[in-house]
Amino acid sequence: MIKTVFAMALAALLLLASLGPALSEGNWRKGKYLYRKNCRTCHSAKGPAKDLSPSTYKQAKWAELFNQNKIPCKPKWPKITDKDLADIYAYLHGHAADSPSPAKCK
Amino acid sequence: MARSKRNQAREAMSTTKKTGMTRRRWLKLSTAASAAALAGTGPGAWRALAADQKNPAPPAVEKKYSSCDMCFNKCGLVARVEKGKVAKLGPNPHFLKSRGMLCARGNAGIMQLYDPDRLKYPLLRKGARGEGKWQRINWDQALDLAAAKLKEIGEKYTRCGTVFMAGTDTQSTFVHRFAEVYGSYNVISHESNCLLSRNRAFLDTFGVVPIPDTLNCRYIIMPGANRFEALVTPDSIDIVTALQNGAKLVVLDPRYTKTAALASEWHAIRPGTDMAFFLAVANVLITEGLYDKEFVAKRTHGFKRLAEHVRQYTPQWAAAQCDIPAIDIIRIARELAQAAPAAMVYPGRRSSDYVDSTQIRRSMAIVNALIGNWDQAGGLTLPQKIKTGTIPYEAPFYDSNPEDRVDAGRAKMMFPEEGSFKYTRDAVIEGKPYPVKGFFTYKTNPMQTGANQAKTVEMISQLDFMITVDIAMSDTAWMADLVLPAPTYLEREDPVSSFQGSSACSGMVMRDPVVPAMYQSRPVFWIIKELAGRLGLEEHFDFTIADFRAAQLKDLPQVTTALKEQGVYNLTGPVHGVHKNKPFRTRSTKVELYNDRYKENGVSPLPVYRARPRVPQDRFRMVVGRNAYISQSSSTNNALLAQLEDENTLWINPEPAARLGITSGQMLRVASPAGAVELKARVTQEIRPDTVYMDTGFGPLSTWLKNIYGKGACLSRVLKDEADEVSGNMAMHETLVTVEKVRS
Repeated sequence: MIKTVFAMALAALLLLASLGPALSEGNWRKGKYLYRKNCRTCHSAKGPAKDLSPSTYKQAKWAELFNQNKIPCKPKWPKITDKDLADIYAYLHGHAADSPSPAKCK
Repeated sequence: MARSKRNQAREAMSTTKKTGMTRRRWLKLSTAASAAALAGTGPGAWRALAADQKNPAPPAVEKKYSSCDMCFNKCGLVARVEKGKVAKLGPNPHFLKSRGMLCARGNAGIMQLYDPDRLKYPLLRKGARGEGKWQRINWDQALDLAAAKLKEIGEKYTRCGTVFMAGTDTQSTFVHRFAEVYGSYNVISHESNCLLSRNRAFLDTFGVVPIPDTLNCRYIIMPGANRFEALVTPDSIDIVTALQNGAKLVVLDPRYTKTAALASEWHAIRPGTDMAFFLAVANVLITEGLYDKEFVAKRTHGFKRLAEHVRQYTPQWAAAQCDIPAIDIIRIARELAQAAPAAMVYPGRRSSDYVDSTQIRRSMAIVNALIGNWDQAGGLTLPQKIKTGTIPYEAPFYDSNPEDRVDAGRAKMMFPEEGSFKYTRDAVIEGKPYPVKGFFTYKTNPMQTGANQAKTVEMISQLDFMITVDIAMSDTAWMADLVLPAPTYLEREDPVSSFQGSSACSGMVMRDPVVPAMYQSRPVFWIIKELAGRLGLEEHFDFTIADFRAAQLKDLPQVTTALKEQGVYNLTGPVHGVHKNKPFRTRSTKVELYNDRYKENGVSPLPVYRARPRVPQDRFRMVVGRNAYISQSSSTNNALLAQLEDENTLWINPEPAARLGITSGQMLRVASPAGAVELKARVTQEIRPDTVYMDTGFGPLSTWLKNIYGKGACLSRVLKDEADEVSGNMAMHETLVTVEKVRS
């Protein structure tokens, strides 16, 4: 039992560490605003790219995309601050399909 | 006729089931076909009812489609309009979700429209709050004042300094939109006084809030829900049909409700012990190997830990908690397993009962998972609401705003877009973490439905300005500074509303005015559009309802046609066998018997029973419930419904009544730490000796509600306001009261 608890605590710590301090401290409300303003221009039903809402993916997928720098369109973005990126991540990850509060972007 | 429609629907379902299509796929493929079919056949009998094109004068008799708003169900209706006046409301036979029916409240909707007590023009408070002195003002004055106050409060206390609270209404979406563009995070609905913890529990177990297929169910355990009075379409009707087809209904309720009366068996469970019952059922299912082994192995997470956990919860132990014999608990568990997968623990709706209400519902969700009823006929099914389009908007961001909601962090796992009425109210009273001085309410009445009315009064007394938009002078309107008259559903142009009707259909309804809006009433959409214009936010409301509907139905042309021709769009695709082996929307991709996220949030990952001591002999536990002609406080003043009940009474068992010398009709004083009320006794065997009950929605403060003013008592005045530790949902059944005769 103690072993299990220790393993889980370690896993949680590793997960937090892997996200880095910036990504784990974003303001999701600001992120929602930034996402709508900057990302929905392409990532919407009418846009040229895939219609993306937080609930499109699960948390692990958002973590992978942001943490491992796997966002395909990122090279095309204008310069973005670490704070803005963390805010957007907080919105997408915090409202992912398997999050406590899955959300669609209206 | 209803039966033949059901058969048609079933045939349609079975056909599509063979093809394995989901409703969404069915929808796509059937778009062209249904549009063509409708265009070809036309409205049939309904064509004769349409206005004569060559004669512009309105016919003496018209029949118009609408959808009911006497409760949240939105059942389809046909209004018979004679010489411009609604003469009768009847059911829309095309409306599959209600199985072509309209209940007593739906029929009585005509008196919401023609209620002489309706609000007729904007009113500004003149005297002290709640004193009932009002000054009639015009709309320009009202809107200018409201906008000026919203601006002033925003500048002084940030945009989060105003709370927005909208009831279950098709135009509430515009109130939420307004709150967001205005900049307040503090948006609440009625849900945290109702079913939030049920949603929390099922979402955290199944990754969705499932829809029960009661029609095809063979064995239903119904804990607390009172589906033959607290009507939910189609469940209320489908359960009767299921019973006629030989299904068994087991009701657990401290009250002998109408549902209990029609059930196969009724157990007067001790209030607050439902979790003990279901943990014991889980114990039997696992101990006797009656659970669905394949489903559990392949589709659930944490079974071993659950099995270990429920070992302690034996039927013998539960019997002492629930007052239900162990032999019955064992038998019910076995019968449930035998009928599975066409068996269920009915999820119910209102779950605002105990401080562990999420965990109580988790125990119910877990039993459902153990019998493998997921995605099966007669089990829990995947929600398949039809998605509509919208007019997108980009809400501005206000840098001066605080970080989060005013009630943030007060419960362990709140829904950030829903919050908690109880905790928001606490935060406003405390002024922490920041001051909130504005309150905007639309068609919701927390003065009557939010437990502990004294605290709601205290909250409102802290405010600089309160705006209420409603149809009648509710107790909440009674406390406001500015009261704005809204039209009823029969006078409104509303957006399209998507619904799910279990095995009946998914569907859509909308409303056009059946008659023009009376008096100076204005829809909330118009009100907030006007406010947005005055606050420089007009770009976010640069559309009409017609524009909004067009955006909603942009990709759904067949819906537009069906709404016009039949007053409803029904989509009767399959409801089971659609999820198949797809992953669940949970972290583990499985049904989470054990929830790791709970553990991370300081919540027990498995439901742990919390024993409630027996109620002392000089007290009673107050439980909350419904009857079939009351939609809480919004319908009690209705002149037709008031003929059925214009006064609530306190249900009390003959045993304590005799002890206290109480007979039916005697005036009683009922008191709790929250407050005291006086109402008449109803001495009845229909309730346990340790429990009392009274209907919601009576004893108003508002003298304008003439049919019920001075009659009965207000339940929220006596209910304590504890909260579910996980979701922040109100916990109303934690209230113990004393009962005594009023000495004249």
